[in-house]
Amino acid sequence: MNLNSLAWRNIWRRKRRTLITAFSIGFGVMLSVTFTGSGDYTYTNMIDMGASMGMGHVTVEPVGYHLKPTLDKRLTDTEKLHKQIIALPGVSAATVRITGQAMFASARKSIGGAFIAVDPAFETQENNLLLRSIVEGLLFSSRSGRGIVIGSRLAKKLHVRIGKKIVYTTTDADGEIVSDIARITGIFTTGIDMVDGIMALLPIGSVQKTLSYAPDEATVIAVVIKDQRHAEMMRDRVAALPEAKDVAVLTWKKAQPDLAGVIAFDKAGNYISQFLVGLLIAVGILNTMLMSVLERTREFGVMMAVGMSPKVLFRLVMVESFWLAIVGLILGIIITAPWYYFLYHFGIDFSGSFGNDFSYGGVLVDPVFKARLFKESIMAILGSLFILALLAGLYPAWRAGRVPPVESLKTI
Amino acid sequence: MSEERQETEHIVRMQDVVKTYRQGKVDVHAVNKVSLAIENGDFAALCGPSGSGKTSILNLIGGLDVPTSGSVWVDGIDLSTLDNTELSEVRKNRIGFVFQAYNLIPVLTAYENAEFVMNLQGLSDAECRERVMATLKSVGLEGLEHRRPDEMSGGQQQRVAIARAIVTNPAIVLADEPTANVDSHTAESLLDLMQQLNRDQGITFLFSTHDQHVIDRAKRIIQVHDGKIVTDESLN
Repeated sequence: MNLNSLAWRNIWRRKRRTLITAFSIGFGVMLSVTFTGSGDYTYTNMIDMGASMGMGHVTVEPVGYHLKPTLDKRLTDTEKLHKQIIALPGVSAATVRITGQAMFASARKSIGGAFIAVDPAFETQENNLLLRSIVEGLLFSSRSGRGIVIGSRLAKKLHVRIGKKIVYTTTDADGEIVSDIARITGIFTTGIDMVDGIMALLPIGSVQKTLSYAPDEATVIAVVIKDQRHAEMMRDRVAALPEAKDVAVLTWKKAQPDLAGVIAFDKAGNYISQFLVGLLIAVGILNTMLMSVLERTREFGVMMAVGMSPKVLFRLVMVESFWLAIVGLILGIIITAPWYYFLYHFGIDFSGSFGNDFSYGGVLVDPVFKARLFKESIMAILGSLFILALLAGLYPAWRAGRVPPVESLKTI
Repeated sequence: MSEERQETEHIVRMQDVVKTYRQGKVDVHAVNKVSLAIENGDFAALCGPSGSGKTSILNLIGGLDVPTSGSVWVDGIDLSTLDNTELSEVRKNRIGFVFQAYNLIPVLTAYENAEFVMNLQGLSDAECRERVMATLKSVGLEGLEHRRPDEMSGGQQQRVAIARAIVTNPAIVLADEPTANVDSHTAESLLDLMQQLNRDQGITFLFSTHDQHVIDRAKRIIQVHDGKIVTDESLN
């Protein structure tokens, strides 16, 4: 009879108590999976959506543009750099863009806003939120035409519709005020009021001419990557490219600090919730193990009397905690699996409460509560709960080996 | 382990041992200047009324308790020089314990209870098996190896406890009121068994008891009163 087998039998002496404790661990797994899974899903969605709003997961831009985004700062020879970036593993898209402020004017009204000048040949619905949010009309087909796609709220404010002309006015590379005329080819509705109220897509060729940019000059190369968690790694890879010597390469956290702040704050709240859940579980395990140790004081005295050392006794109780943790985690996996399947495939629809255009941190949040766990998160949940269970067993184990055998034998 | 071996034939020797407990504000001398030697092959009984100090003496010999003053040697080792882990080693390798309430481990079978100390000694399963089976047979438990304590009578449980105590071939078996929880018929059969083990295998037994059955069988009777040995009589 080795220590493992003895510990295994010991935890089943009081089946009900062991099962209740194991279920509390299992419940902890379920809660952690729900919290972490929803975090992994929501944050990834928010980051990907933020990336598709113009700047990508990784942004290549002129040095200092991030702090003062004026159009006199520009990237040159973007074609070479763009080709090098596209060739990097992990990059799903890279688009050359010009972003800037502009005044949009219709026959009836003028509104301040912002534009993203794009090459329609490189833009897809996956990497451009505005494009996939077009509700009327189409994206202009030529990079040098006079098309424009504007937000629905902006269209409403300007009292314009598809086919109507608007004038946009901005400052060029030399700081001079310049303007051009464009005809509305499409209208988008992202659901984010600010975006729908000020943003417009313009053809990059036309904007380059208006701003007196050379054909391969732009302000931004927005890099969309396959997994947002690798943004830092991709930033370093891009920064190491030979054509990226005199440019700034930023991750979405730098390019979109508001979004990064919101996510960091939300994550902190999530961690605190999980810590408190963990604490409750640990107290439950501690209680079980302590009860189990206290009611066996005499038995431990006998074990020590026949030669078991306090160290081995400590180990025995720790192995019991180990088995309790294993049983709890297995139960947790069993009860969490169907719940996770439901959250993964269906989720809980909160659109009735929040509507379909609930935005947070400047990006649209899916009103359906879903969960997607990263592999690392699964390991972290199981690992941390396992360690927690072992830590909760430390005090009872220490206590078991501490009572002198002669005292233990006196207990009934 | 620091073993301060003594040039002696004694299995146990106590020299001027005092054990004082604090009860409230009063010091109680549970063991008071006791000097005692137990010879190899002894079948000795510590007799006396409740609270006379029998169990305290047994605990001191068994290394379960430490004396306030004086020294205890077991199999030539001065227990006062040992730390807790070393005391565990002495108990594991040189002392067998039989308790009044059997004190078997309830989740283990008769076989596993007897095997328990051998496992602690780190012996292989094969070594354990042969010895445990032979020991269980010698205490009359052949065929009951797979029974758990709650599936056995008090007498059978005490036999398992005796098997656990002798399976490692200890220098001495300390038995604290071993017949107190069983009926007189069972007590007689347990005493037959222990007497047989003493006679045939030369195992040294030291009992604490006030059971006349045990006293009648003992080869040596040590009377204890108020923590002192008042008489020590060999009956050979």
